[in-house]
Amino acid sequence: MKTHERAHQLASAASAFPYLGLSEPGQLLDVVRAELGHEDVLDDFQRYGSHLAKAVAPGTILHVLSGNTPHAALQSLIRGLLLGARNLCKLPSCGLPAIEEFRSRLPEPLREAVEISPQGESWWWENADVVIAFGSDETIRAVRARVAEKRIFIAHGHAVSLALIYEDPELRSVALAARDAALFDQQGCLSPHGFHVRQNAAEYAERLAAEMEKIEAEMPRAALSAEDSASIRSMREEYAFRAATTPDLRLHRSRDSTAWTVVFDPDPAFRSSPLNRFLFVRPWPEDFASALAEVRPHLSAIGIWPATCENAIHAATLGASRICPVGQMQTPPFTWHQDGRQALAPLVRWIDAEVG
Amino acid sequence: MPIIESYHEIEDRIAAFIAARSRHGDEFNSLATEMYTFQRRENAAYSQYCRSLGALERIEHWREIPAVPQSAFKHAALRAFPAEQTAKTFRTSGTTGEGFGEHHFRSLRLYDAAILEGWDSLELPRLPQWVLTPRADFATHSSLSHMMNVLAQRALDDACHFVDAAGKLDDASLRAAFSRCHEPVMLLGTALAFLHLFEWMRRDHLQFILPRGSCAMETGGYKGSGRSLTRVELYAMFAECLGLPDSAIINEYGMTELSSQFYSRGLGQTHRGPSWTRTMIINPETGKESAIGEIGILRIFDLANLGSVLAIETQDLAMQREDGFELLGRDPAALPRGCSRAADEALRSGDE
Repeated sequence: MKTHERAHQLASAASAFPYLGLSEPGQLLDVVRAELGHEDVLDDFQRYGSHLAKAVAPGTILHVLSGNTPHAALQSLIRGLLLGARNLCKLPSCGLPAIEEFRSRLPEPLREAVEISPQGESWWWENADVVIAFGSDETIRAVRARVAEKRIFIAHGHAVSLALIYEDPELRSVALAARDAALFDQQGCLSPHGFHVRQNAAEYAERLAAEMEKIEAEMPRAALSAEDSASIRSMREEYAFRAATTPDLRLHRSRDSTAWTVVFDPDPAFRSSPLNRFLFVRPWPEDFASALAEVRPHLSAIGIWPATCENAIHAATLGASRICPVGQMQTPPFTWHQDGRQALAPLVRWIDAEVG
Repeated sequence: MPIIESYHEIEDRIAAFIAARSRHGDEFNSLATEMYTFQRRENAAYSQYCRSLGALERIEHWREIPAVPQSAFKHAALRAFPAEQTAKTFRTSGTTGEGFGEHHFRSLRLYDAAILEGWDSLELPRLPQWVLTPRADFATHSSLSHMMNVLAQRALDDACHFVDAAGKLDDASLRAAFSRCHEPVMLLGTALAFLHLFEWMRRDHLQFILPRGSCAMETGGYKGSGRSLTRVELYAMFAECLGLPDSAIINEYGMTELSSQFYSRGLGQTHRGPSWTRTMIINPETGKESAIGEIGILRIFDLANLGSVLAIETQDLAMQREDGFELLGRDPAALPRGCSRAADEALRSGDE
């Protein structure tokens, strides 16, 4: 099967998952062209500088998937299928129905190129040419130790995102910000943990709380394990105590549940959220470097508002690999550099032919 | 309504209640509600907190007494007495970047009484003690070291310490002690200290079957060490290295923010507390009390905490049982990472 045909079939299957934002084969061919130089270079030799070259897909890719969002898992599988590799998907222990559903929507023979297993087979580890892993830093370490030296290993570890509100006197970004945070219950690498707001941050927090309450009615947060629920309660209680004894600190929360929480903390230093719709709103730091020091090594995306070039240039100095408008944090284009790296190029080998 | 008493008067009454080990519910309630009114008046930060909750100055039932989160001790000096009267301050071992909490005491009278009476009331043994935590004089801000020091009063003969100020094991002395040991002893230490002990013994291929009647008390976890073992795994090492069965191992549950301790014996057992404490399990979603058998957050009421706050909501998950609580799981304050699971789950294959 040629790349074009695979792109068509994949785009068709992907259109059933709106959050992927993928419906046209051209979107996938854009990635092939951008990273490998030519749409057909996986199929035939193409001009490459003064010679010809052809890209060779890996034979087998093992995707070690985490359950926090189906988005990242599906993207990884789609890329692997686009290349023309065989794809082995090791599911997280909580399962990932989206992967099974996606596979079922693929026509033969693409469907045959996908195997799914909750535990993974031991021979997968020995035979995969490429291993792509998603998960906590601990999981990545464990997987890395298992991958033989000559295999290609791509890690997508712990990643955190945030948003910067440079200017928004009419608070038009608030509803969009709430949506970015609420999608996937804030568990994706692109989900903002918090918002730094240059003006009227306390008011922003109050409006954000109102939006989170509205979203809860329309798109309720999932039920949590006792542990995750307790994480939220612990942090809420800590902030409730601090709010009683610290001026300016405000805690907004859903009643009778941990469905959503918004904390306005006058301390501009970034602090990780326990997720599941727990948001921080902070004032603008005087020194961004020290305010974001804790998160910089793991920073994935920064949502900005307004999305001007000037603001993007500033945000780009802070260590994120993706800058986008607030409201679009969860819908990266298919050409995005996840974790700041190319997705297809690191996986292929090349054959050069100095002829013709 | 009883007249609000001064610190000394309440302290005397609580000390008597501790000594009597009375399970009398009405007397506990009476003391607890009076202590609440006293603390609400004298502890500035607690007072502000109670007012923010709309809690009244007088409460009828101890269950309604507002609990501060354990983390509150990092953010305020929770003193129910003037700062200049502080006799002792214990510090929590903070996790990185989060700072540490401080628990201030005007007097250690109730704290020490709680340690000793708590031990005796649960009929814990009096044996020669081998201690694997640094001596109290090396760790002046550690409530655990202080507790061990006080417990040494319950030891037959002087307690022996086998770790230095840095917590490093003195294996030569321990080896000698093992070879001289013909009577039952009690080993006390943190779970991490025991893990180091067992790793040393395994490395040097050592095994010392302790005399029958020996036991061990382990406490704390592995926080900050990057290590983690289930209690089943740890207790298996007690058996392998020291010949101690599960029933000979006591787990102590306590914290810097409390004055009293809770103990369980063996595996799968409830932790029980002394008569001057009560516990509640709180549903983390609703904030209301959970039913027996439900999992929730552990909230503790400790009459010995006169100088600070009576009611503390911990960060630990537990299940309410008839005569105590059953501790569960790891630290709920640890950040969840989506579908986070143990690292080795990523490697588990169908053939294993």
